[in-house]
Amino acid sequence: MTALNQVRAALARIEATDAKVNAFTAVLAERALARAQALDAAGQATPLAGMPFAVKNLFDLQGLPTLAGSKIEREAAPAARDAALVRRLEAAGAICVGALNMDEYAYGFTTENSQYGPTCNPHDLKRISGGSSGGSAAAVAAGQVPLTLGSDTNGSIRVPASLCGVFGLKPTFGRLPRSGTYPFVASLDHLGPFAGNVRDLALAYDAMQGVDADDPAQARRAVEPTVAHLGRGSDGLRIGVLGGWFQRMANAAALAAVQQCAQALGTDRIVEWPEVDRARTAAFMITNAEGAALHLADLKRRASDFEPLSRDRFIAGALLPAAWLVQAQRLRHWFARQVAASFRDVDVVLAPATPCTAPEIGTEWLEIAGQRMPARASMGLLTQPVSAIGLPVVSVPLWGLDAAQPHLPIGVQVIAAPWREDLALRVAQVLEHSGLARAPKAHGL
Amino acid sequence: MSIDFESWADTQAALLGLPIAPEHRPGVLRYLQLVAGMAPRVMDFPLGPADESGNVFVPVAPEDVAEGGAT
Repeated sequence: MTALNQVRAALARIEATDAKVNAFTAVLAERALARAQALDAAGQATPLAGMPFAVKNLFDLQGLPTLAGSKIEREAAPAARDAALVRRLEAAGAICVGALNMDEYAYGFTTENSQYGPTCNPHDLKRISGGSSGGSAAAVAAGQVPLTLGSDTNGSIRVPASLCGVFGLKPTFGRLPRSGTYPFVASLDHLGPFAGNVRDLALAYDAMQGVDADDPAQARRAVEPTVAHLGRGSDGLRIGVLGGWFQRMANAAALAAVQQCAQALGTDRIVEWPEVDRARTAAFMITNAEGAALHLADLKRRASDFEPLSRDRFIAGALLPAAWLVQAQRLRHWFARQVAASFRDVDVVLAPATPCTAPEIGTEWLEIAGQRMPARASMGLLTQPVSAIGLPVVSVPLWGLDAAQPHLPIGVQVIAAPWREDLALRVAQVLEHSGLARAPKAHGL
Repeated sequence: MSIDFESWADTQAALLGLPIAPEHRPGVLRYLQLVAGMAPRVMDFPLGPADESGNVFVPVAPEDVAEGGAT
Protein backbone atom coordinates (compact mmCIF):
# COMPACT_ATOMS: atom_id res chain seq x y z
CA MET A 1 0.00 0.00 0.00
CA THR A 2 1.42 3.40 -0.92
CA ALA A 3 2.15 5.98 1.74
CA LEU A 4 -0.47 8.20 0.17
CA ASN A 5 -3.15 5.55 0.47
CA GLN A 6 -2.20 4.83 4.08
CA VAL A 7 -2.42 8.51 4.97
CA ARG A 8 -5.71 8.95 3.12
CA ALA A 9 -7.16 5.94 4.97
CA ALA A 10 -6.03 7.34 8.33
CA LEU A 11 -7.46 10.78 7.58
CA ALA A 12 -10.77 9.24 6.52
CA ARG A 13 -10.97 7.13 9.71
CA ILE A 14 -10.17 10.18 11.86
CA GLU A 15 -12.87 12.16 10.04
CA ALA A 16 -15.40 9.36 10.54
CA THR A 17 -14.72 8.61 14.20
CA ASP A 18 -13.16 11.51 16.06
CA ALA A 19 -16.39 13.36 16.79
CA LYS A 20 -17.14 10.41 19.09
CA VAL A 21 -13.66 9.62 20.43
CA ASN A 22 -12.11 13.11 20.67
CA ALA A 23 -8.54 11.83 20.42
CA PHE A 24 -7.19 14.56 18.11
CA THR A 25 -6.62 18.23 18.91
CA ALA A 26 -5.03 18.96 15.50
CA VAL A 27 -5.12 17.08 12.20
CA LEU A 28 -2.28 17.92 9.79
CA ALA A 29 -3.84 16.67 6.56
CA GLU A 30 -1.96 18.97 4.16
CA ARG A 31 1.43 18.27 5.70
CA ALA A 32 0.81 14.51 5.85
CA LEU A 33 -0.44 14.23 2.27
CA ALA A 34 2.55 16.21 0.98
CA ARG A 35 5.00 14.00 2.86
CA ALA A 36 3.26 10.86 1.66
CA GLN A 37 3.50 11.99 -1.96
CA ALA A 38 7.17 12.81 -1.50
CA LEU A 39 7.86 9.45 0.12
CA ASP A 40 6.11 7.56 -2.67
CA ALA A 41 7.94 9.60 -5.30
CA ALA A 42 11.31 8.85 -3.67
CA GLY A 43 10.56 5.15 -3.96
CA GLN A 44 13.02 4.16 -1.23
CA ALA A 45 12.33 1.31 1.18
CA THR A 46 12.03 2.58 4.78
CA PRO A 47 11.44 0.64 8.02
CA LEU A 48 8.09 2.27 8.69
CA ALA A 49 7.02 2.44 5.04
CA GLY A 50 4.53 5.31 5.10
CA MET A 51 2.92 4.34 8.42
CA PRO A 52 0.70 7.21 9.67
CA PHE A 53 1.26 8.25 13.28
CA ALA A 54 0.18 10.98 15.69
CA VAL A 55 1.66 12.42 18.88
CA LYS A 56 0.46 13.57 22.28
CA ASN A 57 0.20 17.33 22.05
CA LEU A 58 3.19 17.90 24.31
CA PHE A 59 5.46 16.99 21.34
CA ASP A 60 6.56 19.98 19.25
CA LEU A 61 5.12 20.03 15.75
CA GLN A 62 6.46 22.75 13.51
CA GLY A 63 4.01 25.61 13.13
CA LEU A 64 1.76 24.65 16.07
CA PRO A 65 1.85 25.86 19.67
CA THR A 66 2.76 22.93 21.91
CA LEU A 67 -0.37 22.79 24.07
CA ALA A 68 0.55 20.12 26.61
CA GLY A 69 -3.20 19.85 27.08
CA SER A 70 -3.48 23.39 28.43
CA LYS A 71 -5.36 26.59 27.73
CA ILE A 72 -2.31 28.63 28.74
CA GLU A 73 0.05 27.25 26.08
CA ARG A 74 -2.37 28.22 23.31
CA GLU A 75 -0.63 31.58 23.59
CA ALA A 76 2.82 30.05 23.08
CA ALA A 77 4.75 30.73 19.90
CA PRO A 78 4.42 28.03 17.24
CA ALA A 79 7.16 25.40 17.45
CA ALA A 80 10.09 26.14 15.14
CA ARG A 81 10.63 22.49 14.33
CA ASP A 82 9.34 19.02 15.17
CA ALA A 83 10.38 17.18 18.34
CA ALA A 84 13.38 14.87 17.96
CA LEU A 85 11.30 11.68 18.05
CA VAL A 86 8.90 13.00 15.40
CA ARG A 87 11.87 13.75 13.15
CA ARG A 88 13.30 10.29 13.73
CA LEU A 89 10.03 8.50 12.95
CA GLU A 90 9.61 10.54 9.77
CA ALA A 91 13.21 9.81 8.78
CA ALA A 92 12.26 6.12 9.07
CA GLY A 93 9.31 6.63 6.71
CA ALA A 94 6.42 7.24 9.12
CA ILE A 95 4.14 10.22 8.50
CA CYS A 96 2.74 12.45 11.23
CA VAL A 97 -0.96 13.21 10.80
CA GLY A 98 -1.69 15.18 13.96
CA ALA A 99 -1.62 15.97 17.66
CA LEU A 100 -3.52 14.16 20.42
CA ASN A 101 -5.46 15.05 23.55
CA MET A 102 -4.07 14.59 27.06
CA ASP A 103 -4.52 15.59 30.68
CA GLU A 104 -3.36 19.17 31.21
CA TYR A 105 0.41 19.29 31.64
CA ALA A 106 0.28 15.47 31.94
CA TYR A 107 -0.97 15.68 35.54
CA GLY A 108 -3.71 13.05 35.45
CA PHE A 109 -4.60 9.46 34.60
CA THR A 110 -7.95 9.98 32.85
CA THR A 111 -7.79 12.55 29.97
CA GLU A 112 -10.88 14.29 31.28
CA ASN A 113 -9.65 17.60 29.91
CA SER A 114 -11.96 20.52 30.73
CA GLN A 115 -10.61 22.68 27.87
CA TYR A 116 -10.57 20.14 25.05
CA GLY A 117 -13.14 17.65 26.33
CA PRO A 118 -12.61 14.09 27.53
CA THR A 119 -11.09 11.53 25.21
CA CYS A 120 -13.57 8.66 25.22
CA ASN A 121 -12.61 5.01 25.35
CA PRO A 122 -13.23 3.65 21.83
CA HIS A 123 -14.41 0.33 23.27
CA ASP A 124 -17.07 2.01 25.43
CA LEU A 125 -17.55 5.72 24.77
CA LYS A 126 -18.97 6.52 28.20
CA ARG A 127 -15.73 5.41 29.83
CA ILE A 128 -12.35 7.08 30.24
CA SER A 129 -9.47 6.38 27.89
CA GLY A 130 -6.96 6.65 30.74
CA GLY A 131 -4.22 9.20 30.81
CA SER A 132 -2.38 11.27 30.62
CA SER A 133 -1.69 10.00 27.07
CA GLY A 134 -5.36 9.17 26.55
CA GLY A 135 -5.53 10.49 23.00
CA SER A 136 -2.51 8.39 22.07
CA ALA A 137 -4.07 5.13 23.25
CA ALA A 138 -7.56 5.92 21.96
CA ALA A 139 -6.33 6.84 18.46
CA VAL A 140 -4.77 3.37 18.07
CA ALA A 141 -7.77 1.60 19.64
CA ALA A 142 -10.15 3.45 17.32
CA GLY A 143 -8.11 2.41 14.27
CA GLN A 144 -7.38 6.05 13.41
CA VAL A 145 -3.62 5.50 13.19
CA PRO A 146 -1.52 2.37 13.77
CA LEU A 147 1.16 4.18 15.80
CA THR A 148 1.26 7.05 18.31
CA LEU A 149 3.67 8.60 20.77
CA GLY A 150 3.01 9.53 24.38
CA SER A 151 4.80 10.28 27.61
CA ASP A 152 4.90 8.40 30.91
CA THR A 153 5.90 10.03 34.20
CA ASN A 154 3.97 7.80 36.60
CA GLY A 155 2.03 5.56 34.24
CA SER A 156 0.78 7.80 31.45
CA ILE A 157 1.61 5.32 28.69
CA ARG A 158 0.75 2.11 30.55
CA VAL A 159 -2.55 3.26 32.11
CA PRO A 160 -4.24 4.34 28.84
CA ALA A 161 -2.74 1.35 26.99
CA SER A 162 -4.38 -0.89 29.60
CA LEU A 163 -7.77 0.83 29.53
CA CYS A 164 -7.96 1.17 25.72
CA GLY A 165 -6.59 -2.28 24.93
CA VAL A 166 -3.45 -1.45 22.95
CA PHE A 167 0.25 -2.19 23.30
CA GLY A 168 2.47 0.47 24.87
CA LEU A 169 6.20 0.70 25.57
CA LYS A 170 7.73 2.83 28.29
CA PRO A 171 11.47 2.49 27.66
CA THR A 172 14.18 2.78 30.31
CA PHE A 173 14.45 6.25 31.85
CA GLY A 174 16.93 8.23 29.76
CA ARG A 175 16.82 5.89 26.75
CA LEU A 176 14.96 8.15 24.29
CA PRO A 177 15.63 11.87 23.88
CA ARG A 178 13.01 14.27 25.18
CA SER A 179 14.16 17.20 23.03
CA GLY A 180 11.30 19.27 21.72
CA THR A 181 8.69 18.08 24.21
CA TYR A 182 6.93 19.93 27.01
CA PRO A 183 8.19 18.52 30.35
CA PHE A 184 6.18 17.58 33.42
CA VAL A 185 8.67 16.16 35.95
CA ALA A 186 12.21 16.08 34.58
CA SER A 187 13.25 13.47 37.19
CA LEU A 188 10.63 11.01 35.97
CA ASP A 189 9.53 11.83 32.40
CA HIS A 190 9.80 9.12 29.73
CA LEU A 191 8.60 9.07 26.10
CA GLY A 192 7.43 6.02 24.20
CA PRO A 193 5.17 4.49 21.52
CA PHE A 194 1.72 2.88 21.38
CA ALA A 195 0.77 0.41 18.63
CA GLY A 196 -1.66 -2.31 17.68
CA ASN A 197 1.01 -5.04 17.77
CA VAL A 198 4.41 -5.70 19.31
CA ARG A 199 6.30 -5.62 16.01
CA ASP A 200 5.15 -2.06 15.21
CA LEU A 201 6.04 -1.05 18.75
CA ALA A 202 9.56 -2.42 18.32
CA LEU A 203 9.99 -0.96 14.82
CA ALA A 204 9.10 2.49 16.10
CA TYR A 205 11.25 2.11 19.21
CA ASP A 206 14.28 1.07 17.17
CA ALA A 207 13.81 4.03 14.83
CA MET A 208 13.76 6.44 17.78
CA GLN A 209 16.89 5.24 19.61
CA GLY A 210 20.20 7.09 19.62
CA VAL A 211 21.87 9.96 21.37
CA ASP A 212 20.53 13.46 20.68
CA ALA A 213 22.92 16.26 21.59
CA ASP A 214 19.95 18.54 22.30
CA ASP A 215 18.91 16.48 25.35
CA PRO A 216 21.42 16.81 28.19
CA ALA A 217 19.45 14.42 30.39
CA GLN A 218 19.50 11.50 27.95
CA ALA A 219 21.73 8.53 28.79
CA ARG A 220 24.64 8.22 26.37
CA ARG A 221 23.74 4.66 25.28
CA ALA A 222 24.50 3.05 21.95
CA VAL A 223 21.55 2.03 19.79
CA GLU A 224 20.42 -1.48 20.81
CA PRO A 225 17.97 -2.71 18.14
CA THR A 226 15.19 -5.07 19.22
CA VAL A 227 13.24 -6.10 16.12
CA ALA A 228 15.75 -8.74 15.06
CA HIS A 229 15.46 -10.41 18.50
CA LEU A 230 11.67 -10.51 18.75
CA GLY A 231 11.42 -14.03 17.40
CA ARG A 232 13.67 -15.50 20.09
CA GLY A 233 10.69 -16.10 22.34
CA SER A 234 10.85 -16.58 26.08
CA ASP A 235 12.85 -19.82 26.22
CA GLY A 236 15.65 -19.47 28.74
CA LEU A 237 14.19 -16.37 30.33
CA ARG A 238 13.46 -16.45 34.06
CA ILE A 239 10.03 -14.93 34.53
CA GLY A 240 8.24 -14.06 37.75
CA VAL A 241 5.08 -12.38 38.99
CA LEU A 242 5.30 -9.40 41.33
CA GLY A 243 3.60 -10.09 44.66
CA GLY A 244 2.79 -7.91 47.65
CA TRP A 245 1.62 -4.41 46.69
CA PHE A 246 1.04 -5.44 43.07
CA GLN A 247 -1.46 -8.11 44.13
CA ARG A 248 -3.01 -6.27 47.08
CA MET A 249 -3.93 -3.18 45.05
CA ALA A 250 -5.57 -4.99 42.13
CA ASN A 251 -9.13 -6.12 41.47
CA ALA A 252 -10.06 -9.58 40.23
CA ALA A 253 -9.81 -8.77 36.50
CA ALA A 254 -6.29 -7.38 36.90
CA LEU A 255 -5.15 -10.39 38.90
CA ALA A 256 -6.71 -12.78 36.39
CA ALA A 257 -4.90 -11.06 33.53
CA VAL A 258 -1.53 -11.54 35.21
CA GLN A 259 -2.39 -15.12 36.12
CA GLN A 260 -3.25 -15.95 32.51
CA CYS A 261 0.04 -14.47 31.29
CA ALA A 262 1.99 -16.36 33.95
CA GLN A 263 0.34 -19.62 32.91
CA ALA A 264 1.08 -19.00 29.24
CA LEU A 265 4.71 -18.32 30.13
CA GLY A 266 4.93 -21.37 32.40
CA THR A 267 5.76 -19.61 35.65
CA ASP A 268 4.33 -19.61 39.14
CA ARG A 269 7.28 -17.83 40.70
CA ILE A 270 6.43 -14.87 42.94
CA VAL A 271 8.93 -11.99 43.20
CA GLU A 272 8.68 -9.53 46.09
CA TRP A 273 10.07 -6.01 45.91
CA PRO A 274 10.57 -4.31 49.29
CA GLU A 275 8.89 -1.07 50.36
CA VAL A 276 6.86 -0.58 47.19
CA ASP A 277 4.35 1.69 48.91
CA ARG A 278 7.13 3.99 50.13
CA ALA A 279 8.63 4.14 46.61
CA ARG A 280 5.25 5.00 45.16
CA THR A 281 4.83 7.74 47.74
CA ALA A 282 8.27 9.10 46.89
CA ALA A 283 7.26 9.32 43.21
CA PHE A 284 4.02 11.05 44.22
CA MET A 285 5.91 13.69 46.21
CA ILE A 286 8.61 14.25 43.56
CA THR A 287 5.89 14.68 40.96
CA ASN A 288 3.89 17.09 43.09
CA ALA A 289 6.85 19.29 44.02
CA GLU A 290 8.72 19.31 40.70
CA GLY A 291 5.59 19.73 38.61
CA ALA A 292 4.46 22.65 40.74
CA ALA A 293 7.86 24.35 40.60
CA LEU A 294 7.82 24.13 36.80
CA HIS A 295 4.53 26.03 36.63
CA LEU A 296 5.06 28.39 39.55
CA ALA A 297 5.17 31.56 37.45
CA ASP A 298 1.79 30.80 35.86
CA LEU A 299 0.33 29.61 39.19
CA LYS A 300 1.17 33.06 40.58
CA ARG A 301 -0.20 35.02 37.62
CA ARG A 302 -3.14 33.03 36.34
CA ALA A 303 -4.06 30.04 38.48
CA SER A 304 -7.65 30.21 37.25
CA ASP A 305 -6.51 29.28 33.75
CA PHE A 306 -5.30 25.86 34.93
CA GLU A 307 -7.34 22.66 34.67
CA PRO A 308 -9.68 22.58 37.68
CA LEU A 309 -8.98 18.87 38.21
CA SER A 310 -5.25 19.45 38.83
CA ARG A 311 -4.85 23.18 39.72
CA ASP A 312 -5.20 22.83 43.50
CA ARG A 313 -2.78 19.88 43.49
CA PHE A 314 -0.23 21.98 41.61
CA ILE A 315 -0.58 24.85 44.10
CA ALA A 316 -0.20 22.49 47.06
CA GLY A 317 2.90 20.98 45.47
CA ALA A 318 4.60 24.37 45.50
CA LEU A 319 4.23 24.50 49.28
CA LEU A 320 6.00 21.26 50.26
CA PRO A 321 9.11 21.29 52.49
CA ALA A 322 12.38 20.85 50.60
CA ALA A 323 13.49 18.02 52.90
CA TRP A 324 10.54 15.91 51.71
CA LEU A 325 11.68 16.18 48.12
CA VAL A 326 15.32 15.39 48.94
CA GLN A 327 14.39 12.36 51.05
CA ALA A 328 12.01 11.16 48.33
CA GLN A 329 14.84 11.25 45.77
CA ARG A 330 17.14 9.35 48.13
CA LEU A 331 14.49 6.73 48.88
CA ARG A 332 13.92 6.32 45.16
CA HIS A 333 17.59 5.50 44.69
CA TRP A 334 17.54 3.05 47.62
CA PHE A 335 14.53 1.30 46.04
CA ALA A 336 16.25 1.13 42.63
CA ARG A 337 19.20 -0.66 44.22
CA GLN A 338 16.98 -3.23 45.94
CA VAL A 339 15.09 -3.97 42.74
CA ALA A 340 18.32 -4.19 40.73
CA ALA A 341 19.49 -6.90 43.13
CA SER A 342 16.25 -8.83 42.56
CA PHE A 343 16.95 -8.87 38.81
CA ARG A 344 20.00 -11.10 39.46
CA ASP A 345 17.54 -13.98 39.86
CA VAL A 346 14.91 -13.10 37.28
CA ASP A 347 14.85 -11.53 33.80
CA VAL A 348 11.26 -10.35 33.48
CA VAL A 349 8.46 -9.75 35.99
CA LEU A 350 4.72 -9.31 35.44
CA ALA A 351 2.26 -7.04 37.21
CA PRO A 352 -1.15 -5.55 36.46
CA ALA A 353 -1.01 -2.20 34.64
CA THR A 354 -4.16 -0.82 36.27
CA PRO A 355 -6.11 -1.97 39.33
CA CYS A 356 -9.30 -2.32 37.26
CA THR A 357 -10.84 -1.82 33.82
CA ALA A 358 -11.91 1.64 32.59
CA PRO A 359 -14.35 3.47 34.89
CA GLU A 360 -17.03 5.76 33.52
CA ILE A 361 -16.11 9.38 32.77
CA GLY A 362 -16.66 11.49 35.88
CA THR A 363 -16.13 8.66 38.36
CA GLU A 364 -14.82 10.06 41.66
CA TRP A 365 -14.43 6.93 43.79
CA LEU A 366 -13.63 3.30 43.11
CA GLU A 367 -13.50 0.18 45.20
CA ILE A 368 -10.08 -1.40 44.80
CA ALA A 369 -9.35 -4.59 46.69
CA GLY A 370 -12.13 -3.79 49.12
CA GLN A 371 -11.01 -0.23 49.83
CA ARG A 372 -12.77 2.97 48.74
CA MET A 373 -10.14 4.91 46.81
CA PRO A 374 -10.09 8.19 44.79
CA ALA A 375 -10.61 7.01 41.22
CA ARG A 376 -8.32 9.35 39.29
CA ALA A 377 -5.15 9.03 41.35
CA SER A 378 -5.64 5.31 41.91
CA MET A 379 -5.31 4.39 38.25
CA GLY A 380 -1.54 4.78 38.67
CA LEU A 381 -1.12 2.73 41.85
CA LEU A 382 0.59 -0.14 40.02
CA THR A 383 2.59 1.79 37.42
CA GLN A 384 4.04 4.52 39.65
CA PRO A 385 6.50 2.33 41.61
CA VAL A 386 7.93 0.97 38.33
CA SER A 387 8.49 4.28 36.55
CA ALA A 388 9.88 5.73 39.79
CA ILE A 389 13.00 3.68 39.07
CA GLY A 390 12.89 3.93 35.29
CA LEU A 391 12.47 0.26 34.36
CA PRO A 392 11.46 -0.61 30.78
CA VAL A 393 7.89 -1.92 30.50
CA VAL A 394 5.65 -3.19 27.73
CA SER A 395 1.95 -3.04 28.55
CA VAL A 396 0.02 -5.85 26.84
CA PRO A 397 -3.81 -5.92 26.62
CA LEU A 398 -6.01 -8.88 27.62
CA TRP A 399 -9.79 -9.17 27.24
CA GLY A 400 -12.92 -10.60 28.78
CA LEU A 401 -11.64 -10.77 32.35
CA ASP A 402 -13.99 -8.24 33.98
CA ALA A 403 -17.11 -10.28 34.67
CA ALA A 404 -19.32 -7.19 34.86
CA GLN A 405 -17.79 -5.54 31.77
CA PRO A 406 -16.50 -8.35 29.55
CA HIS A 407 -16.11 -6.03 26.55
CA LEU A 408 -13.32 -4.07 28.28
CA PRO A 409 -9.57 -4.74 28.14
CA ILE A 410 -7.01 -4.63 30.92
CA GLY A 411 -3.25 -4.48 30.64
CA VAL A 412 -0.36 -6.44 32.10
CA GLN A 413 3.03 -4.82 32.64
CA VAL A 414 5.94 -6.88 31.27
CA ILE A 415 8.87 -5.40 33.18
CA ALA A 416 12.61 -5.92 32.61
CA ALA A 417 15.82 -4.62 34.17
CA PRO A 418 17.12 -1.25 32.96
CA TRP A 419 18.23 -1.22 29.29
CA ARG A 420 16.59 -4.61 28.58
CA GLU A 421 13.68 -3.39 26.46
CA ASP A 422 14.56 -6.33 24.20
CA LEU A 423 13.49 -8.86 26.86
CA ALA A 424 10.21 -7.11 27.65
CA LEU A 425 9.38 -6.92 23.94
CA ARG A 426 10.24 -10.61 23.39
CA VAL A 427 7.94 -11.72 26.21
CA ALA A 428 5.21 -9.36 25.00
CA GLN A 429 5.39 -10.93 21.57
CA VAL A 430 5.15 -14.43 23.04
CA LEU A 431 1.93 -13.34 24.78
CA GLU A 432 0.66 -11.80 21.55
CA HIS A 433 1.45 -14.89 19.48
CA SER A 434 -0.22 -17.11 22.08
CA GLY A 435 -3.45 -15.22 21.33
CA LEU A 436 -3.80 -13.92 24.88
CA ALA A 437 -2.67 -10.35 24.21
CA ARG A 438 -4.22 -8.52 21.29
CA ALA A 439 -5.36 -5.06 20.29
CA PRO A 440 -8.47 -5.27 18.10
CA LYS A 441 -9.80 -2.03 16.63
CA ALA A 442 -13.02 -0.84 18.22
CA HIS A 443 -16.22 -1.72 16.39
CA GLY A 444 -19.22 0.46 15.82
CA LEU A 445 -17.66 3.90 15.92
CA MET B 1 1.92 16.77 66.53
CA SER B 2 -1.11 18.36 64.91
CA ILE B 3 -0.50 20.43 61.80
CA ASP B 4 -2.08 23.82 61.20
CA PHE B 5 -2.68 23.52 57.46
CA GLU B 6 -4.04 27.06 57.12
CA SER B 7 -0.88 28.50 58.64
CA TRP B 8 1.36 26.23 56.55
CA ALA B 9 -0.34 27.30 53.32
CA ASP B 10 -0.27 31.01 54.20
CA THR B 11 3.37 31.05 55.31
CA GLN B 12 4.79 29.09 52.39
CA ALA B 13 2.64 30.92 49.85
CA ALA B 14 3.81 34.27 51.23
CA LEU B 15 7.45 33.17 50.97
CA LEU B 16 6.88 32.26 47.32
CA GLY B 17 4.72 35.28 46.50
CA LEU B 18 2.00 32.85 45.45
CA PRO B 19 -1.54 34.17 45.93
CA ILE B 20 -4.14 31.52 46.73
CA ALA B 21 -7.61 32.59 45.60
CA PRO B 22 -10.44 31.92 48.08
CA GLU B 23 -12.08 29.52 45.64
CA HIS B 24 -8.86 27.46 45.34
CA ARG B 25 -8.08 27.41 49.05
CA PRO B 26 -10.24 24.43 50.16
CA GLY B 27 -8.74 22.24 47.44
CA VAL B 28 -5.19 23.30 48.27
CA LEU B 29 -5.74 22.53 51.97
CA ARG B 30 -7.25 19.16 51.09
CA TYR B 31 -4.17 18.23 49.03
CA LEU B 32 -1.80 19.44 51.73
CA GLN B 33 -3.58 17.16 54.19
CA LEU B 34 -3.34 14.28 51.71
CA VAL B 35 0.38 14.66 51.10
CA ALA B 36 1.11 15.33 54.77
CA GLY B 37 -0.62 12.06 55.56
CA MET B 38 1.61 10.26 53.06
CA ALA B 39 4.88 11.97 53.94
CA PRO B 40 5.78 9.80 56.96
CA ARG B 41 6.06 6.79 54.65
CA VAL B 42 9.01 8.55 53.06
CA MET B 43 10.38 10.56 55.97
CA ASP B 44 10.28 7.73 58.53
CA PHE B 45 12.33 5.39 56.39
CA PRO B 46 15.90 5.09 57.71
CA LEU B 47 18.51 6.11 55.16
CA GLY B 48 22.23 6.47 55.76
CA PRO B 49 24.78 9.00 54.56
CA ALA B 50 25.71 6.66 51.68
CA ASP B 51 22.17 6.66 50.28
CA GLU B 52 22.54 9.17 47.51
CA SER B 53 19.88 11.07 45.60
CA GLY B 54 18.07 9.52 42.69
CA ASN B 55 18.51 12.88 40.99
CA VAL B 56 22.03 12.82 39.58
CA PHE B 57 23.69 15.87 38.10
CA VAL B 58 25.58 15.48 34.83
CA PRO B 59 28.38 18.03 34.40
CA VAL B 60 28.22 20.08 31.22
CA ALA B 61 31.41 20.30 29.15
CA PRO B 62 32.02 23.30 26.86
CA GLU B 63 31.48 21.13 23.79
CA ASP B 64 28.05 20.10 25.10
CA VAL B 65 26.75 23.65 24.75
CA ALA B 66 25.78 24.81 21.28
CA GLU B 67 26.98 28.25 20.12
CA GLY B 68 24.95 30.83 22.03
CA GLY B 69 23.15 28.04 23.88
CA ALA B 70 24.32 28.74 27.42
CA THR B 71 20.96 29.96 28.62
